[in-house]
Amino acid sequence: MTKLFFAEAIGRAIREAMAADPRVMVLGQDVGAFGGPYREFRGLYEAFGAARVRDTPVAEHAVVGLGVGAALAGLRPLVSITYMDFLTLGLDPLVNYAAKARFKTGGQLACPLVVKTTAGAKDQGVAHAQCLEAWLMGVPGLRVVAPSTPGDAYGLMKTALAADGPVVFVDHKRLFPLAGEIAEGVAIPFGRAAVLRPGADVTIATHAFMCRVALEAAGRLADTGIDCEVLDLRSLAPLDTETIARSVARTGALLTLEEGQVVCGVGAEVAFQARAAAPNLKVARVGAAPAPVSSNPVLQAACVPDADRLVAAVRALLAA
Amino acid sequence: MDRPALLRAMKLIRAFEAALMARPDHGFQLLSSGQEAVSVGVCAALSEGDRLLCSGRAIAPALARGLDPARLMAELLGRESGYAKGRGGRGHVAWPDGGFFGAHAVVGGNIAVAAGVAMAAQLEGAGRLVVCLFGDGACGAGALHETLNIAALWKLPLLFVCDNNQLSIATPVAEALAPARLADLAAPFGIPARTVDGMDVDAVAAAAADLSVGARSGAGPAFLECVSERFATHSTATRETRSPDQMATILARCPIAALEAALLASGDLAPADIAAMDAGVAAEVAAAERFAEASPWPDPAVAFAEV
Repeated sequence: MTKLFFAEAIGRAIREAMAADPRVMVLGQDVGAFGGPYREFRGLYEAFGAARVRDTPVAEHAVVGLGVGAALAGLRPLVSITYMDFLTLGLDPLVNYAAKARFKTGGQLACPLVVKTTAGAKDQGVAHAQCLEAWLMGVPGLRVVAPSTPGDAYGLMKTALAADGPVVFVDHKRLFPLAGEIAEGVAIPFGRAAVLRPGADVTIATHAFMCRVALEAAGRLADTGIDCEVLDLRSLAPLDTETIARSVARTGALLTLEEGQVVCGVGAEVAFQARAAAPNLKVARVGAAPAPVSSNPVLQAACVPDADRLVAAVRALLAA
Repeated sequence: MDRPALLRAMKLIRAFEAALMARPDHGFQLLSSGQEAVSVGVCAALSEGDRLLCSGRAIAPALARGLDPARLMAELLGRESGYAKGRGGRGHVAWPDGGFFGAHAVVGGNIAVAAGVAMAAQLEGAGRLVVCLFGDGACGAGALHETLNIAALWKLPLLFVCDNNQLSIATPVAEALAPARLADLAAPFGIPARTVDGMDVDAVAAAAADLSVGARSGAGPAFLECVSERFATHSTATRETRSPDQMATILARCPIAALEAALLASGDLAPADIAAMDAGVAAEVAAAERFAEASPWPDPAVAFAEV
């Protein structure tokens, strides 16, 4: 086992894929000598050169489109979109082309593209803060993963870079300071949630940075005798409905937690799937307030879920 | 490709579309009639390994690139023996192994993708040229301008071809785009550009051949504007907005009639040669229809296996 910071774990997985397969390349703004917005690509430019670790203009539509075309032509590009907010500019090639390429060509073409982007609020304001992963979960042909630990970031990136279709890999600003163990050489398959903490009274299903919030709240609730099971979904599409169903069948209560909006959110889908498995399930959902996430620290804190809100929501759910 | 072959290629497109439109089951289609010279002229400049991408108005580009009319007809009619097993359908035909990387029916949505295909070709280093064919409607889209910049910066082996039929559905080009000459859009990026009469297949073929030399050999992208005329409505679901007088003027500019008259006048073809050519084209189209009709619809049970 090796201990790495979150960004280093991503970089390690990419470096290994690039060393093993000359078709793997990185495209995006400041991915080259600068090393990536969060240094996640540090050392790749020096190791593999400017042709395979390629800086691009700030032109998200064209850069995602370049990645799509390169993937269709046989390469395995990773496109870096600095913040998930900016992925809105690249949704046309991603949703209308990459996700449909295999189907619409009757299997003549595959689109092994990874779009890596960073979500989450960290003091940067309304258009540098959004968690839009729920938008992408319902697009047939797209896979969406959002790790919460360096180990998962490494293992899921390895799987993403070996996948045969487009993958959106969502990391989170507030996870970058986190260090953790990685299992070298081990890819983590998509569609498998992780039980971060086993518990008997309530299931908290969440992903990305909100896993940290869930673990903090679970610790506090344990002191008052409430035993929370924390599920890290990790893979949002495909979703691990089996693990969700097994957990809620035991606990009888589900609280979904996400940093994005709850309306048509990740939790809405998780709750629907869970209800199918446990019809008498108690369900509640927690997410961002229905407002933009301001850079104003008071307003940001009021918008984004934290352990206090989660503790209150779990208590209310179990008291209902 | 010699001039009689160019003429036959254009006639095949025209006859194919006429036969398709005569069918009650044609469904929603985007027709190329009137604009045959652009696709045929451009494809005449391509080699086997080159890759063509185009807009949703794909029948002319597909046939000009050498797709089998039978499998194309099957694809457009939704049959299993089509190039994409009937799943792509109109606007999304592709045959990558035959150098037709595919149509895409989002206006401007194929341009950056073509640059990615060109980037792969550049890294491969085998001298492949990538051509992206799009309409004037795409020239207002940011995708074109973003891609012109990147293609010029990286000297991609990419030929941009604007098939300027002068209408975005019903909006005339002058009401949608500031530049009078769309080839001028390439100028700020230092990309060599030319405007030709898109109704003159010889002019299109000569310009495409000329511009592709630099693009193929590492000098970077080029831009060809072909000013053309759309004979049909934007799509089979769109009403005609042009007057009968306007249509008469437009139809009089037929690229097929012009080349046929020139070849008869020059003595390259005799009336009997034209009749034989027409009969051959008609037989090929009739065979394409029979092939498509004999092919089954997709089985919904397996049609979703390749999502």
